[in-house]
Amino acid sequence: MNADTVRRVGLSLAAPALAIILSLAITSAVLAAAGNDPFDTFKQMIEYAKEPRTTAMIINGSVTYYFAALAVAFGFRMNLFNIGVDGQYRLAAMLAAAVGGAVSLPPILHVGLILLVAVLVGGLWAAVAGLLKVYRGVSEVISTIMLNSITTALIAFLLTTDKLAVQAEGSNNIGTKPIPASGQVPGIGLVPDSPLKVYGLIVLAVIVGFLYWFVIEHSRFGFDLRAAGRNEEAAVASGVNVKRMILISMAVSGGIAGLVGMPQLLGSSYTYSLDFPAGIGFTGIAIALLGRNTALGVAIGALLFGFLDNSSQILDLEGVPKEIVMITQGVIVLSVVIAYELVRRYRIVAQQREVGRRLSEPPAPAAGNDKTPQGAQA
Amino acid sequence: MPESEGAAQSETGAAATVPAVELSGITKRFPGVVANHDVNLRVRPGTVHAVVGENGAGKSTLMKTLYGMHKPDEGTITLNGEQVVLHSPADAIARGVGMVHQHFMLADNLTVLENVVLGAEPRRWGGFGLNRAAARTKIREIGKQYGLEVDPDEMVERLGVGDRQRVEIIKVLYRGARILVLDEPTAVLVPQEVDALFEALAVLKGQGLSIIFISHKLDEVRSVADDITVMRRGTTVATADPKTVSSRELAELMVGSELPSPQTSDSTVTDRPVLELSGINLIDGARHLLRDVTLTIHAGEVLGLAGVEGNGQAELVESIMGMRSVDSGTIKLTGDDITSWSTRRRREAGCGYIPEDRHRHGLILDAPLWENRILGHQSRKPNVRGPLVDRAGARTDTERIVREYDVRTPSIDVLANSLSGGNQQKLIVGREMSGNPKLLIAAHPTRGVDIGAQTAIWDLLRTARAEGLAVLLISADLDELIGLSDSLTVILRGELVAEVDPSTVTPEQLGSAMTGAGEAA
Amino acid sequence: MLRVTKLVAVAAAATFALAACGGGSSDGSSDAGDTGSAKSDVKVGLAYDVGGRGDQSFNDSAGVGLDKAKSEFGIDVKELEASANETDSAREERLRLLAQGGYNPVIAVGFAYATSLGKVAKEFPDVQFGIIDDSSLEKVSNVTSLVFAEEQGSFLVGAIAAEASKSGNVGFVGGVNTPLIQKFEAGFKQGAESVNKDIKVQVKYLTQPPDFAGFNAPDKGETTAQGMIDAGADVIYAAAGGSGSGVFKAIAAAGKGNWAIGVDSDQYLTADSAVKDYILTSMLKRVDTSVYDFIKSAVDGKVLTGKQEFDLSDEGIAYSTSNDAVKDYEAKADELKKQIISGDIKVSATP
Repeated sequence: MNADTVRRVGLSLAAPALAIILSLAITSAVLAAAGNDPFDTFKQMIEYAKEPRTTAMIINGSVTYYFAALAVAFGFRMNLFNIGVDGQYRLAAMLAAAVGGAVSLPPILHVGLILLVAVLVGGLWAAVAGLLKVYRGVSEVISTIMLNSITTALIAFLLTTDKLAVQAEGSNNIGTKPIPASGQVPGIGLVPDSPLKVYGLIVLAVIVGFLYWFVIEHSRFGFDLRAAGRNEEAAVASGVNVKRMILISMAVSGGIAGLVGMPQLLGSSYTYSLDFPAGIGFTGIAIALLGRNTALGVAIGALLFGFLDNSSQILDLEGVPKEIVMITQGVIVLSVVIAYELVRRYRIVAQQREVGRRLSEPPAPAAGNDKTPQGAQA
Repeated sequence: MPESEGAAQSETGAAATVPAVELSGITKRFPGVVANHDVNLRVRPGTVHAVVGENGAGKSTLMKTLYGMHKPDEGTITLNGEQVVLHSPADAIARGVGMVHQHFMLADNLTVLENVVLGAEPRRWGGFGLNRAAARTKIREIGKQYGLEVDPDEMVERLGVGDRQRVEIIKVLYRGARILVLDEPTAVLVPQEVDALFEALAVLKGQGLSIIFISHKLDEVRSVADDITVMRRGTTVATADPKTVSSRELAELMVGSELPSPQTSDSTVTDRPVLELSGINLIDGARHLLRDVTLTIHAGEVLGLAGVEGNGQAELVESIMGMRSVDSGTIKLTGDDITSWSTRRRREAGCGYIPEDRHRHGLILDAPLWENRILGHQSRKPNVRGPLVDRAGARTDTERIVREYDVRTPSIDVLANSLSGGNQQKLIVGREMSGNPKLLIAAHPTRGVDIGAQTAIWDLLRTARAEGLAVLLISADLDELIGLSDSLTVILRGELVAEVDPSTVTPEQLGSAMTGAGEAA
Repeated sequence: MLRVTKLVAVAAAATFALAACGGGSSDGSSDAGDTGSAKSDVKVGLAYDVGGRGDQSFNDSAGVGLDKAKSEFGIDVKELEASANETDSAREERLRLLAQGGYNPVIAVGFAYATSLGKVAKEFPDVQFGIIDDSSLEKVSNVTSLVFAEEQGSFLVGAIAAEASKSGNVGFVGGVNTPLIQKFEAGFKQGAESVNKDIKVQVKYLTQPPDFAGFNAPDKGETTAQGMIDAGADVIYAAAGGSGSGVFKAIAAAGKGNWAIGVDSDQYLTADSAVKDYILTSMLKRVDTSVYDFIKSAVDGKVLTGKQEFDLSDEGIAYSTSNDAVKDYEAKADELKKQIISGDIKVSATP
């Protein structure tokens, strides 16, 4: 058994390792072709990442990515492709920011209310896609992509000075009314010597990650979810109400998505303005694929993407086009998908062979006719 | 019973000639199933050789072997006296073997000519141009020679079914095939088209081509074939001479009649109804999938449901399991009206279900055995504790099932798809028997499993029945149905049309009832 | 198999999304001191907004100003590009890297830098920062706000549009619906109405934030302009960055008698020869001048501070006259210009 466990762990690490090595190789080739020294480039990125402030930035970026990737992964677990995380978190962040800026409450309550609004908005917005799928058979891929566009239009409609937005004197930016101190989440000095603090909501990310793992792996609901994701028809036959599961999973996925904007909103910008980061939902898809939809894998993927994004800042200053990390990220995602599939197939074949071998060892081989002949077997 | 290898017949005419096709000892295993087992087939040149057998008897697997779509695990293929190894359909084509699939593989938006040459285009201009003129001439020649005339420039989408089939045959001949495999060619044709097809086959045969004709329509087979080989449960069981064999005899060979019916003597049927269906109707659009189905199964009773596949069996099962909601009628389980209950609630109330297609409905193939053990029981002990999965409990109980139901596996952590079909099925049976079910729906419980597992599953069903379980048994294997059932009902076009006594009925009589043909055979 | 295909498709989509965020290549970083004739030891850092060099809009314009200063004063410059969808902390870090690297002054192109600059400026009190299109930091002593009265120039080209229009129907194509571009719209409308009270002004924005693609979507510009022409417009003002070329194309396709109006730089000089004759004039927003002036002041040792407003009076805002066709309307436009400068006409910055 022990050797088996080692093998299993080895195989699960093989895929991401393969993918990362492959993408590093391709990135190096591109760098070399462009006349930059790959090793020097990577060294610069790592050196820069080791600076306390950059480390803190990487962690902060990863926290945001983590929520996005978990949201996507939750859907993936039941074969739902929630491409709409992007729209869900933007709408959630905008409305939560508006509510947070409009009320004044005691600190904990204030933050709680903002988070609640974000989760509800994200969840309900995603549930629209769930409803469409359950009652009208609309693919969630299509509907969530469309909901992303609708989100953009909706935010443009609401984020005007005569509705939810205010414009600071002399600024060309508009945003929701800033959230007062009671609704802000102070940072944590997690990285020694860093003037930049880590988002306080990293605690929430850890909690959500733990809950994700616990619910998926250890609850009945999680079992039903995974069953529906791996074999929907068998799940139906086993008594899973798949329609209900689709609705719930979309809503939960959207609820997690609602948290994506929160670290930034409550820990840094305190307002949803025109330049609030967009597009994180799509990065989340890539990270969910990279992390194999597990809480830990996604965390590692988020850190990797956070590292690539932030440490690439130094490259521009050193004359290396920082778009190189886009190539790395893209290649990682593609090679991860391919590597996982290869390893998965290898695993099945290897196991079938193994089972056959072990069964044929002590007693007589396969045919299995050693049971005493029954009745009138002609 | 004409069980004897009707060898004398095939020897007579062909003593001197080398067979066009000779398959010997072919065995093909797939993960989980043995699809072909020691298959022997000998086709004389210039003849139509029919291969008959029930659905799932292994005919298609065998033909795929002959067409190079997969390699056999054991056995040899000999074409015109030369032993060959076929790596791909291209190999087979190169050796003169052509296949006409049951489902046409034609591109509607291309012309006949384009479809015929697709993949074997005559080139010109240094290989870049399509030489239509050459192709057209060749297609016309083939048409004239074999009586298969089709306008090469017609769009395929405008052709009727018969013409399309003709195009498929031309396609194969165009590539130089001398051995034609026709997979259930008449399934899609109307009688006139069937006649035309048979005329064409006669011409082809006259030109020295050999034809392997796969079918389960016995009358057709008798009228067109020169030789007949019968397959059952993955192996060839007999050969027969169409001139002397009757359809009745062929049917017996196909379904087999050597199987047991041991328990009819010691009936365990009680008078406690477990499942009561009354007036079940299921309508999909204009189609009546189930019409006024009424039946009762008592504790200790196995009710066999006989019928040609697609006559409402699957729909009936899904209605009982709550996977479909019926349009009218009531379903009662030990007196409780469960008509509006969810699948899960029905399962909790004691409905076990061995699905027809275990890969699709019964298992999560890429999950370990212990997780599969939870499936369908994810709201009950020992698999769960409150809202949480009880891993230890589920694992212990999986070990029990593996032990008690003789599931051959090295561990309960292997993925379900590493097991053979028989062992997968035993796991399912063990799972469905756990939690003391009152009713078990067993749809084709032994389909695609090896003989050992089959016997084991039959024993399990008998034991369960003796313990007071009510069983609804659905099977295409008439011997299984007759052998295991306490009572038998025939379903046809969604209606229960007849009840027969399993202690007196023969497979042939049952077969006739299933097709609604009354006394005809 | 299907499973793989689906996964690969999603992965591809994800990769595409990433790639699409990549923006232009950042080959703009110049090597230190390559001019050789360094007359000044001032080092200038410049951080672009999303789009960077090559956006045919204000990033490019800022680049022109920087290039001019560089060649004139032989200064050392460093340009950094922004990534799409980045956070404030990324922008902050970019400014910090420049300030840390000894660049002074550091110029932030675009209002999106306001929040981050507010923080970084405090960390580096000895570095003078400039920010374009934002004056929210005008009270911070080491931040120079470089802002423009876009509504004034737009007022003038609005008046010209109304004069040139025969149908009494003109169009405004905005790139992205932000308050900044709304200033263009406001000025244009007021200008047009000052000439013809009953004029119809069609207003369309190509995209809504956070989708800033409207500044670089010629195809959208073309169809939008085409729609306006179909609805009767014969003069269209394109305040849409790189999307303007699409508007010009639509106007050229409509033929003689239809006019396009460019923005930011004199697009009559830079546009395709097939369409340039249809560009009646351009509303000039001299971001290049502001960048140049700011650097010059630093080189001269008397760095500009506070809020530097560029408008009609100092030619930081103007309209172009390189197309002879605009001659007929110049008298009227210059008359209005005088009235705006003198304050007789007040142009509102909001629509």
